[in-house]
Amino acid sequence: MQADQAPVPTSARFTRPRVIAFLVAIFLLLILAVAISATERRERAELLQADADRILDDPRLAPKALAKGRKVFLANCASCHGADGRGSTATGTPDLTDQDFLYGTGLVSEIEQIVLHGIRSGDDRGWNLALMPAYGQQIPYPREKLPPLSPKEIDQLASYVGAMNGQAGEDPADVLAGHNLFEGKGGCWDCHGRDAQGDPAIGAPSLANGKWLRGDGSRRDISRIIREGLHSVSPAFRGRLDPLSARTVAVYVAYLHARKETK
Amino acid sequence: MNVPADGTKAGLRGWLRPDVHNERRSLIFCAVAAVLGLVIAGVGLFHARGTRIAGVPPEDVAVVNQSPILLSDYAAQLQALYNVSPSQATPAQKRAVLNGMIREELYVQRGIELGLQNDFIEVRNSLVSSVEAQQEIDANATVPTEQELRDFYQSHLQNYQPEGLMTVTDYVAPDLSSGQRAVMAVRSGNDLASTMAADGLRTSGATDDGQEFYFAAEAHLGARLFALAKGLHDGQVSDPVAVGGRVHVLAMHSNQQPAPEEYSEARDRVLADFRADKIARMRAGTDRFLRERADVQIAKAFK
Repeated sequence: MQADQAPVPTSARFTRPRVIAFLVAIFLLLILAVAISATERRERAELLQADADRILDDPRLAPKALAKGRKVFLANCASCHGADGRGSTATGTPDLTDQDFLYGTGLVSEIEQIVLHGIRSGDDRGWNLALMPAYGQQIPYPREKLPPLSPKEIDQLASYVGAMNGQAGEDPADVLAGHNLFEGKGGCWDCHGRDAQGDPAIGAPSLANGKWLRGDGSRRDISRIIREGLHSVSPAFRGRLDPLSARTVAVYVAYLHARKETK
Repeated sequence: MNVPADGTKAGLRGWLRPDVHNERRSLIFCAVAAVLGLVIAGVGLFHARGTRIAGVPPEDVAVVNQSPILLSDYAAQLQALYNVSPSQATPAQKRAVLNGMIREELYVQRGIELGLQNDFIEVRNSLVSSVEAQQEIDANATVPTEQELRDFYQSHLQNYQPEGLMTVTDYVAPDLSSGQRAVMAVRSGNDLASTMAADGLRTSGATDDGQEFYFAAEAHLGARLFALAKGLHDGQVSDPVAVGGRVHVLAMHSNQQPAPEEYSEARDRVLADFRADKIARMRAGTDRFLRERADVQIAKAFK
C-alpha cells in the first residue's frame, strides 16, 4: 500500500506535458509583453526625438501623435477650449481652430512650449509679457504706470476700434479722438502695434481682423474690455503631463489650426 | 576513484546537479558572490561619476548626474539663440547649445554643493520666488467647476461691481449766504446754470470733463466732497459746504451707483480671483506646514 502512495519525484512532475505547456505559454506571453513594450518605447522615442515641427508631415508619426494628442486634449484642454477646440468668446478662451495666433505662428514647437509652461501661469519659462490693462480702474496695469481713461475716452477708443473693423455709424470726431488716444495717452500701440495688427511675440491680438477674443465686437463689448481688461490664463502642464503627452497634444492643436487652412 | 571530502558520491557530476545537496558548493558560491560584490563596489567607489542610468530617456537630450536636460528645452534654446528648429540647426549650433546647457546644469549642481543659497541674496530670492511660483502653477492648473465659481462670485459680490459713474459740477460760492440762496433757488425749480451765475457761483473746474469714474471723481473732488456727491441723486444739488476755506455746492447731473455685474459678464475675473484666492490659501498652508515641520529656535532676547 505504502509503495503505491509514494510521492512522485520532483523531476517526474516537471516533465508532465501540461506543465511544459504552461511554461511555454508563460514564455510566449513574456515575449509578447516584451515585444509590445519595445514597440511602444520605440514609438515614444520616435515621437519625442523627431523635430516637433515636422511630425504633422510624417505620414507614419502623424496618425499616432494625433490619436494620442486628441485623448490628452479631451482630458486636459477641452474643459476651457471645448471638445472642438473652438474656445468661447463668452469666457475669452481663444479659438484653436482658426489661423489667428495670439502667441507665435502655430508651430508645434511653439504650442508645446505653451502646453508645458503656460501663459501668465506663474512659470517663468511661460509667456508672461502681456496683459490687457483695465483702463476703467484707478491702476490699469500693475506692472507699468499707465493712466486710467475716462468713460468718454473709453468710448472714443471703442469707436476707433469699431471703425477699424468696418462698423458703420461711428462719429468721425470720436474715431479721430480714439485714434489719438490709441497712439497717445492710452499707449495701445505699444502692444497692438501702430497698425493695430497685434504682435504674436507678446500675445497682443490684432484689433483689425474682425476676430474677437471676448464678446462679439459690439461697441458695448469693446468698451467693456477696455474698461475691465482681460484676465485669461493658460496653465503650465509641465508637472502634470509627461513629455510625450505634451508633444502629442501640441501636434493635435497645430493640426486643429492647420485643418481649417486646408479646407 | 577518490571519494569527495563532503561525502557525496557524485563527485564533479554532483557539483553540477542542482537537485543534489552540496554544502561546499553553497559556501563557494556565497564567497564568490561576496568578492564580486566587493569588487563592483570598489570600482564604483573609485571610478564613480554619479549613478548612471542605462541610457538617456527619449524625452531628454542629456542626463547630467541624473538631472535631465529636456529635449523641449533644448529645442527652445536653439530657437531662442539661432532661430532654428533641431532639424534645421547645424552640428555646430547643436553642439554649442548642448554644451551651454550641460555647463549650466553642472554649475547649478555645483552651486547647490557649495551651498550658495546661504551666501547670495539673488539665489535666496530666486528660490523663494520659485517655490511661490510653483504654488501659482499648481493653482492655475486646476479647473474649478462652474458651481464653485458661482459660489465664489456670490460670496465676493462686492468685487464684481464696476466703478460707479458720475457727472457732477463743483461750484464755488463767494460766501455761505450766496451759496444757500442759490441752492434754495435751484431746489425751487429755477434753472441751474443761470441761478448759479446770478449768485456769483463759479465752477471750480475740478470735474468739468463730463462723466467720470468714481475713483477719478474722488481724486478731483477730495474725499469729503466725494462722499457728499456719492449720496446725491440725479438733478440734486448739495447744501453749501465749506472745504479748504471755500464754500462748495455740488450739482449732480447723473449718478450711476456701482451694481454687481452678472456672473456671465464677470466670469473671467471670477476665475482669476478664484485662482488668486487659492494661491493665497496654498501659500498660507505651505507656511504653516513648513513652520510645523521645522525646528525653529529663537533666542530668548528675540522672542
